[in-house]
Amino acid sequence: MSKGFRQSQAFLHTWSGLLLGWILFLVFVAGTIAFWREGLNRWMRPEIARVEQPMRVLAGSQAFLTGKAPDAKSWIIPVATERSPGAQVFWVPQPKPGEERGRRGRRGRGDTQALIGADGQVAQARETRGGEFFYRFHFDLHYMPVIWARWLVGFATMMMLVAIVSGIVTHKKIFRDFFTLRRAKGQRSWLDGHNATAVLALPFHLMITYTGLVTLMAMLMPWAVVANYADQKTVFATLFPTAAAVERTGRPAPLVDLRRIAADAERRLGAPASFIEVSDPADAAARVSVSQSASSMLSSRTPRLTYDGVTGRLVWRSPPPGAAAETAGAMIGLHAGRFAEDGGRWLYFLCGIAGTLMVASGLVLWTVKRRERLPDPSRPHFGFRLVERLNVAVIGGFPLAIACFFWANRLLPVTLGARADWEIHVLFIAWAIAAVTAFVVRPARVWPALFATTGVLLVALPVYDVVATERGLFASLAIGDLMIAGIGATIVVFGLAFLLLARRVARHRPAAKHVRNPRAVTASKVLEPAE
Amino acid sequence: MTAGDAHARARWARRGDIALRVVAAVPLGYATASLWAMAIARLLPGDRAEASVTAALIALALCAIAAMWAFAARSGWQAIWTLAIAAGIAAAIAWISIDATGRL
Repeated sequence: MSKGFRQSQAFLHTWSGLLLGWILFLVFVAGTIAFWREGLNRWMRPEIARVEQPMRVLAGSQAFLTGKAPDAKSWIIPVATERSPGAQVFWVPQPKPGEERGRRGRRGRGDTQALIGADGQVAQARETRGGEFFYRFHFDLHYMPVIWARWLVGFATMMMLVAIVSGIVTHKKIFRDFFTLRRAKGQRSWLDGHNATAVLALPFHLMITYTGLVTLMAMLMPWAVVANYADQKTVFATLFPTAAAVERTGRPAPLVDLRRIAADAERRLGAPASFIEVSDPADAAARVSVSQSASSMLSSRTPRLTYDGVTGRLVWRSPPPGAAAETAGAMIGLHAGRFAEDGGRWLYFLCGIAGTLMVASGLVLWTVKRRERLPDPSRPHFGFRLVERLNVAVIGGFPLAIACFFWANRLLPVTLGARADWEIHVLFIAWAIAAVTAFVVRPARVWPALFATTGVLLVALPVYDVVATERGLFASLAIGDLMIAGIGATIVVFGLAFLLLARRVARHRPAAKHVRNPRAVTASKVLEPAE
Repeated sequence: MTAGDAHARARWARRGDIALRVVAAVPLGYATASLWAMAIARLLPGDRAEASVTAALIALALCAIAAMWAFAARSGWQAIWTLAIAAGIAAAIAWISIDATGRL
């Protein structure tokens, strides 16, 4: 590869990584945490008992919905597992004449869903989004229309792909540098750290970025479909086939026992079921569709079975997808990692941390590299200050905001209206305070302050759990609930890491400025060889 | 003309060049990848839905390649005209093919 090519890609790497790097950091953090979303869904509802008999939850869900929403257009019932807090059921009311079909928006969410606990009754639990918040924030962000957020995240992801590939091209000594870690050498150390976290999990970074684009493919790249189909509905019917719709008859008929359907579906699929959707539940035309669990296979396009809701007869079975659809489904499955057992989740989680550190160290490296070349280091130019402060606000502030989110989950009164929303508001309020501080106070003081506060809050959290809840670390270990105990322990480890980081940053004294050859400075200003 | 003027001119020329490359990389790169998605979706044999999914999967990579080329090209103008030609070829393929056999 020619020197010119590598230099051009070094420039591209620097800027494609920087410009949306802060969004990438948020996406990486939220996505990494979301690998434990089922665990967090339980951890954030400490009053809920662990599910021992999933079928009991299913029977309870059916009984609840039969009483609550017999005339609904459809019910959606997730099949509870030992990992889930129960079954978060929801129903879609019959559209009133003149009303738009369905009611899917944020409004009125509370009155069309309920959490059915381990005993089959509506769970008496604090209102929270739990781990689902991180999952949605990962691609929907918050406080903004979902479609904008997805385009923004999609665009940032494409920048990430460009940054990764151009980073590889730039990197001529990829293996030698990987085994090089120069400690306490200023810029060299940052560069080595950036390289190590990037190269260590490089296959993961490439995979997660490309498959992330695939999850948004229908939105980002609809043109391949447009070329072949005049009506996009046709292709969706081909790619995501469903049983033929039946007209509501108006004749009431009792619904078959969903446990029987689930057991039959699991026998036919040879794998656990994950979602049960019932259309026109109390009608003679009721249909029950069962999807296979994504934990049982790589592809996210899981097979579906549809039953007659009155007789319980199998009426439809999804055809196997074509090779390309299966490939796309496998890519999405690989991205979400739902197939992975605990060991695999840990691998995903650790690689996600490596990705987060790669983005963070890259952002910091941008300032470290330029600081020495500033004409007057005491009065840096606007761009430099902006990047420096944004780094503090995002890399230092967002973890603190998450720690506050967890504390809000523990401390907000259970009776508070819109409590789940308030947990999230607390996260953003804490982050806003951290961000304002980052822009007002000198970075050298804010970095350790934010890290230390985050560390203290995280370490104190499991201590609070031991004292104030029945699901503390030791109680969870005693009943063999390794997921809850593991989350508590992980939070402590993260808290300690943040405290160490705070101490390290607080003691850091920048190396004495050596005067460099001014001509060399201007020459190297033009391009950014990242070697 | 002083050395300072020459320096400032070179800086503005470089900024203009980078602006052209950004235009080539982002809007033009996306348009080129999208048109190739259409062309590939038309050219691939077999099931139409399968062809469309394959083409979209490839086009995502083309987006990144176009952006890299926009910065690897000798100049911003070269990036623009090469990508425009690539987009034109794809547009012609897609248009002729759709005109000939229509869409579903």
